[in-house]
Amino acid sequence: MFELLVRSRKFITGAAVVTAIILFGIIGSLLTRDPLAYSSRFVEPPSSEFLLGTGNFGEDVLAQLCTGTRNSLMIGAIAGGFATLIAILVGGIGPYKGGLIDEISNAFTNVVMVFPMLPLLILLAAVFGTNSMLLVAALIGLTSWPWAARCIRSQVLTLKERGFIDVARMSGMKDRKIVVREIMPNMLAYIIIVFVVSLSIAVLTEAGLSMIGLGPDPSTNVTLGSILYWVLNSTHVALPWSLWWCFIPPGLILTIFLVGVFVIHAGMDEVFNPRLRRV
Amino acid sequence: MMRNPFSHPFAKFLLKKVFFYLIVAIVALNFIFLIPRLMPGNPVDQMIPPGTTDLGRLRLRAELEKYFGLDKSLQEQYIAFWANLLRGDLGYGVMRGYNFRPVADAVMAKLPYTLSLVVPVLFISFFVGNWIGARAAYAKGKQGEAVYFTSVLASQMPFYWFAMVLLFLLAVNVRVFPTGGTFSPRFIPSLNLASLIDASRHYALPFLTLLIITTGGWATGMRSMTLYELDAGYILYARQLGFRNKKLVSYAKRNAILPQFTGLNINLNNLIGMTMIIEVVFRWDGLGALALDAVLARDYFMMLGTFLVTMVVVIFGNFLVDIAYAFLDPRIRTGQEK
Repeated sequence: MFELLVRSRKFITGAAVVTAIILFGIIGSLLTRDPLAYSSRFVEPPSSEFLLGTGNFGEDVLAQLCTGTRNSLMIGAIAGGFATLIAILVGGIGPYKGGLIDEISNAFTNVVMVFPMLPLLILLAAVFGTNSMLLVAALIGLTSWPWAARCIRSQVLTLKERGFIDVARMSGMKDRKIVVREIMPNMLAYIIIVFVVSLSIAVLTEAGLSMIGLGPDPSTNVTLGSILYWVLNSTHVALPWSLWWCFIPPGLILTIFLVGVFVIHAGMDEVFNPRLRRV
Repeated sequence: MMRNPFSHPFAKFLLKKVFFYLIVAIVALNFIFLIPRLMPGNPVDQMIPPGTTDLGRLRLRAELEKYFGLDKSLQEQYIAFWANLLRGDLGYGVMRGYNFRPVADAVMAKLPYTLSLVVPVLFISFFVGNWIGARAAYAKGKQGEAVYFTSVLASQMPFYWFAMVLLFLLAVNVRVFPTGGTFSPRFIPSLNLASLIDASRHYALPFLTLLIITTGGWATGMRSMTLYELDAGYILYARQLGFRNKKLVSYAKRNAILPQFTGLNINLNNLIGMTMIIEVVFRWDGLGALALDAVLARDYFMMLGTFLVTMVVVIFGNFLVDIAYAFLDPRIRTGQEK
């Protein structure tokens, strides 16, 4: 599976874009100044001193952007990991075991699929509070797994029908050994993709949640969403959207990242679904 | 002897769906009962003004708990919750501007504004997106491909950010559209042309934002489905028989669009959430803005009420989509669903 993915041009392009964004967040946050260092030079447009201008409190937007990217990706990774884990438990074990467990886990996924997740997340964030980035990540993970569970379930169902699993079972292999030795290696590429897509959804969700002020406390945590929050709640200008140097960059970073993940996903689709390769 | 009306395959399907969505609703409503009771602390603590003395705090808390029925046992609270719900009583709003007005009234007054965005966007994006996707699959031209890739790339933008970009371009730089709100300030809407023009100018940007963001998703699905169908045996056979290309494409499209209808469910769920956040950016006077106000004011009844109504609307919408799907898919209509 991995060899096929590496040979796919789309997959490589997407992976390169995503890696570039990750490096921008990690290396950039080391090189720029303190993103929470306030000065008296409020909302100044870009200059040679502040490459992307300054924000509401005179903070360096470029520094905020780098640290925000890093923090948002971190929240996304934790939330995505959490969602993938729940998805494997709910969507992976059921169809493998079959019977009542499968019925229950599938019914549960179907019921939860109907829930509007973003309003639910807003409610949970309001009720439980979102003081730390970890809590936000946990809540996002908790509300974003059903899609991933569906994907993993359908993949396990097709895998189960393959001959080599039957051969393993007939040879007397224990269930756990079949899962670890036979199913997991074949699922690994798929699970990684599910994780990456979950991560990208979580990053998108976090920024939206933080933008309306329900993410981690925007006065002490810098994320891509907190930058947008301070734009919407700017006290310096009547029309917050005129602060283009504050809100265009975080959205661009998000867009490039999401497009990167989308291209990875498209590359994967071509590997898993050869009919699409024609075009 | 009379035939059992439930033996008809469609009645069976309908009954199954009603049963499923009833379970979903019951799970969801229990969840709404549980959430505020699972939270750390006490919901009425938020209503006590900061500065209150310790004794005053204790008394006020006891008084508020009695008022909202939180001093009763959990079982009694649970029964009261369902009894109130069935009477359409969602409690009273305590936040500013809603001095003890029924939550149900407040939420119902905002619901049309949110639905006026969600419903048209859902259907128009469905038609436009599927048309673009199908064209990208069968037409060889560069133009179709360009439109397809543009719409797919556009759908990857963060929707709330795209809303800000549109505001920056079309309301701040070029002042074509107003910067937010549902009507112009101090404008009293009535049934005349001026109101219609004012309303549609405010409606345009939130509508466009949601439409552009949601269209690409349909296009990708439709493109791969159409490619799949164009490869199918019946198309190859019809081509051998000498059918015209136009006819083949119309067959493929008919079969490709069917699974797309099942996507309406998940899109409705996403769209409601997206609309609620977009409303905050555009200061559109719908459920999302109400929910955020309630959250910031810590008005629990308003928060839960908004979520409850959103939930019920989504469940009902999902039910309608499923029923519509059954009408379109002959296999379900005649009960030959596998």
